[in-house]
Amino acid sequence: MSHLQALQQRMLQAVLADQSPQLREIDDDVCANAASRLAIYRNGYRLRLRDALATEFPGLGILIGRRFRTLLDSYVEAHPSGHYNIRWHGAGLAAFLEYGLPWRDKPELADMARLDWAISTSFDAADEPVLAAADLAEVPADAWANLRISPQSHLQIISTHHNIEAFRRAADRDGKRPRLRRYDKGRHLLVWRQSLTVHYRSIEVDEISALTGAIKGEPFSALCERICEHHDAADALPLTANLLHGWLASGLISSWRLN
Amino acid sequence: MNIETTSDRLPCLGYGLGLRVEHYESLLDEPGNVEWLEIVSENYMIPGGRPLAWLEKFRERFPLVMHGVSMSIGSTDSLDDGYLARLSALARRVEPAWISDHLCWTGVQGINLHDLMPLPYTEEALAHVVDRVRRVQDVLGRRILLENVSSYIRFADAQLTEWQFLAAVAERADCLILLDINNIHVSAHNHGFSPLDYLDGIPASRVQQFHLAGHESSGQLLIDTHDAPIIDDVWHLYVEAVRRYGRVSTMIERDDRMPPLAELLVELDYARSLATPLLREAA
Repeated sequence: MSHLQALQQRMLQAVLADQSPQLREIDDDVCANAASRLAIYRNGYRLRLRDALATEFPGLGILIGRRFRTLLDSYVEAHPSGHYNIRWHGAGLAAFLEYGLPWRDKPELADMARLDWAISTSFDAADEPVLAAADLAEVPADAWANLRISPQSHLQIISTHHNIEAFRRAADRDGKRPRLRRYDKGRHLLVWRQSLTVHYRSIEVDEISALTGAIKGEPFSALCERICEHHDAADALPLTANLLHGWLASGLISSWRLN
Repeated sequence: MNIETTSDRLPCLGYGLGLRVEHYESLLDEPGNVEWLEIVSENYMIPGGRPLAWLEKFRERFPLVMHGVSMSIGSTDSLDDGYLARLSALARRVEPAWISDHLCWTGVQGINLHDLMPLPYTEEALAHVVDRVRRVQDVLGRRILLENVSSYIRFADAQLTEWQFLAAVAERADCLILLDINNIHVSAHNHGFSPLDYLDGIPASRVQQFHLAGHESSGQLLIDTHDAPIIDDVWHLYVEAVRRYGRVSTMIERDDRMPPLAELLVELDYARSLATPLLREAA
């Protein structure tokens, strides 16, 4: 190991450590001692990560309130950053809250983090074409059963038992904390970007099933069969057509093909 | 002192600003005398969405340069090929006048400290950095600029001054220099050296760009925050830099506590008013 490599590793450990160690390589002088000089880097590391995370998880901030800083600091201490873009340190926060004590006792925290992160990653996801309803006019009437549509690859579905979207909405609007509600039955939220704006809304299990089919590349007839599992067979076709119409209007579909 | 622009440098872009989200709309509506913009590369090394849509608008209106914070040119970890590939892709999209980063390391052992960590100014570190700058320049197909960082620690085994180190990197790797005038002031205070000695030690033919910024005091030390107006001492040092290096692309770099655009335009006009008579005298 080179001298420079050893020095950088000791510096790294000094910045990450709970308490500032003595580093004989750093000079003291009359202006400030080595420990207080090193403390600038130690404090800066934590402050920068905390600020970056707070920006990415505004809904979580509203949900947990005064303990937000403690939560973020505990994550930063447990997980050093590995990505060159500081923002991407947020990728592991939901999993940390799902499995780490004491946060895992409040599952709404991990759900909230998942929603915030889905919104964040949709924001600068790759641009894809957006299919308009008029584009499907080219599909021959007898070919609809074989029509395969491709949803935008960035869309995400978040499952939760809590009204987490209300907290994100509060963060985006007035910052007023709503009341936390728990639902007996699980709920789902769809997150996607239409043009340059990120959206989220509730999505029911029948729509999730049809959308999942579309993501898997199944034809329109198979999407109707999926809807049949939740509704009367006679209603399946108009219901699926309605869903497709809504997806197109929301910019959720990028392309179509036959077979 | 030689005040002429030397042939080693790229064309001067004049007076510019760091592009920040807070000023997107006002910069397009009323750009004032802003002649060029510097983008933070990492903010646009992304797949798509709103930031890249804005970037296209600015690309149509202003000359752009790219300024990164994560190249980690001094790290003993391997160069990050993925990072360099994304940086190259962004450069193909932006077609910047130049690309810069910092003379520092930002992490090691796969961990990123998200800070501009100072290097020990030793022959070993010098050889290490020179080799990596050459390799980066090969990947990007152009010379890069390296910026001096503010620092709070000094290594006991230093063999060179900071300016000797920076000058030697630029000469041996054949790269250019982005001089942050505020950072020179901050480090000179924190380490007790003369900022004028620093300026005297930098080869004019390598100085391509200036950053001007503010800082704050913390006890006996100055902290580089880039979140405050530029102080008189830094303006004086800027004048000394113009006397030594001549016409150099100059910009105000504000990173936090963002004021209205108009406030930065006043600072930019002040920089112009300080430099113009000196450059006219020399012409």
